Amino acid sequence: MRPLRFALAQGLLLNDALAALRAIALDVSRVTPGGRRLVVDGGGNVEFVLARPSDIATYVERGAADLGIVGKDVLMESAARVLELVDLHFGACRFVVAAPRGALERSLDEYRHLGSLEVATKYPRVAEAHFRARGLEVEIVKVAGSAEVAPQVGLADWIVDLVATGGTLRANDLAIVEEIAACSARLIANPASYHYRRAEIAPLVEKLADWASRSRSGANQ
Amino acid sequence: MESGSRRPLLSAPRGFRDILPTEARELRVIEQALTETFAASGYMPLEPPMIEYSAAQPTQERLIQFLDTDRSLVALRPDLTTAVARLVAQRYRETAGALRLSYFAPVFREEPAMTAGEREVVQAGVELIGASGPIADAEVLALLVESLERCGLRLDGATIQVGHVGIVRRLFAPLAEEPRSAVLSALRAGDLVGALRRAHEAGMPSEDVTRARAALGVIGRGIEQLDGDDVSELRQVVHLARERWPGSVKLWGLPNIGLVPALPYYTAIVFEALHPDVGVIASGGRYDLLIGAYGAPRPATGFAIDVLRLHRALFAEGWRPADARPLVTLHSGGDERATMRCAASLRAAGLSVAIGDVAETAGIALIAAEVVDERRVKLGDGRTIDAATLARELAR
Repeated sequence: MRPLRFALAQGLLLNDALAALRAIALDVSRVTPGGRRLVVDGGGNVEFVLARPSDIATYVERGAADLGIVGKDVLMESAARVLELVDLHFGACRFVVAAPRGALERSLDEYRHLGSLEVATKYPRVAEAHFRARGLEVEIVKVAGSAEVAPQVGLADWIVDLVATGGTLRANDLAIVEEIAACSARLIANPASYHYRRAEIAPLVEKLADWASRSRSGANQ
Repeated sequence: MESGSRRPLLSAPRGFRDILPTEARELRVIEQALTETFAASGYMPLEPPMIEYSAAQPTQERLIQFLDTDRSLVALRPDLTTAVARLVAQRYRETAGALRLSYFAPVFREEPAMTAGEREVVQAGVELIGASGPIADAEVLALLVESLERCGLRLDGATIQVGHVGIVRRLFAPLAEEPRSAVLSALRAGDLVGALRRAHEAGMPSEDVTRARAALGVIGRGIEQLDGDDVSELRQVVHLARERWPGSVKLWGLPNIGLVPALPYYTAIVFEALHPDVGVIASGGRYDLLIGAYGAPRPATGFAIDVLRLHRALFAEGWRPADARPLVTLHSGGDERATMRCAASLRAAGLSVAIGDVAETAGIALIAAEVVDERRVKLGDGRTIDAATLARELAR
């Protein structure tokens, strides 16, 4: 059987993910952020594969990787059928609905008169599910980046975006209307791999769960 | 064909595909092994319709739906267990005693585009309806393992995993109805993090959440540390099933409390067959409330094998079907009447015969033969041989 394959998201989460894996004594020395080798040996019948965050869920769902570390935001948008095993607590951010500061009343008035709101977002699935659950009629405008400028340029009334500190919203004179979900990094697994290779996977899950709860209580002190 | 477009549409719609002869022949071999195994345990074949009312489906997710001419919303059947449950509630409403039913048929599920997802899946399975208790669960579980092994699948100690939805539900029993069902649906979706968070938010004490998390990780012998009637039921079912089908693997059937299927209708024992390359090959379990939802409560248990995945798993292990008998391709010497008569005598001798060229052999060996007269042919090596002798030679 091939080594246990662990998919790691390149980008913001990678350093924290590597720190977590190092803390549970996995050998991540061959993983070089920004390097060209994307599948690297991790020793002890484990290998790592680096991929874009949104691909991690795909790799794990399809069994190309057994385990993965990826943000809850990515999981929500991808709707991949994977097991979410541990909240690793790093990479915290929130999905929010935001509107131009001071224009909330005006947009609600528009909603009463015009019957629907336009919402620009990079996360159409999350946005649509949220507004459907809230019973609000909206038109989703999918953008590939910088949803925060959409209200300023008249592309949309509101935005749904991922925020960490809120700095980008403030800089664009946007205020949070409501929070959709809090997100952080998750340890995920392919369901069949998780059950079939439990003897190999369970110790890693346990150690990462311990690490996550320790690092969290450490951060709270 | 789309009018106005110059090119004909040659490919099948996304998620559907053609099954060509080589594959089809292999699938037939699997089909035969499965249907014979089901029949040998008393399961009778049935064929529900391809289309069911959407509103009659237990979950609306992933249905491929369209409007019927009478404007009712209908769906290509997403699942045969549901179709059989509906059928039993209608056709066998007054029947007492156990129904043993089997099927081998395609089902259809929506898959997002660009995910290589198949929208047509072939399921082979059985339903044992009207029988409850460990002996019924064990019968069905053993039949699954027997079916897989008779197809040639090599099992190991982790292939067959057995859980119990009742144990999972009991872990969250102190919760109120609403949060408990939210927790269980998160678990069915695979979201362990969300399920435990939800339970904690609903007032479940931290130590109970920790205990639930640990229990959901229990696999194999760890189950001996748990107690409860449902736990003993799980163990008993596995023991009985091994008696019914000892199989090639000692102690097959790994208890796994964390095995929670995505489908919502399971009520007690659940099980899956897993393969390292292919994933879930088969799944099943007890669904005592599903037929009741159609107005005729009846205990029931069953399983469905994903035949195309089973085929892929067999292929990955190097399985090839036993050789079909070779095909004689008969070439005319010019006398058409003699050719047809010669073909008839070769067929009468038990040989497979095609007249002329065969462009698609599906992997079957060809024996080229030229017509000599009504009962004799000339082979490629120059020998002239009569039908009966050729049949004897090829039978060896």
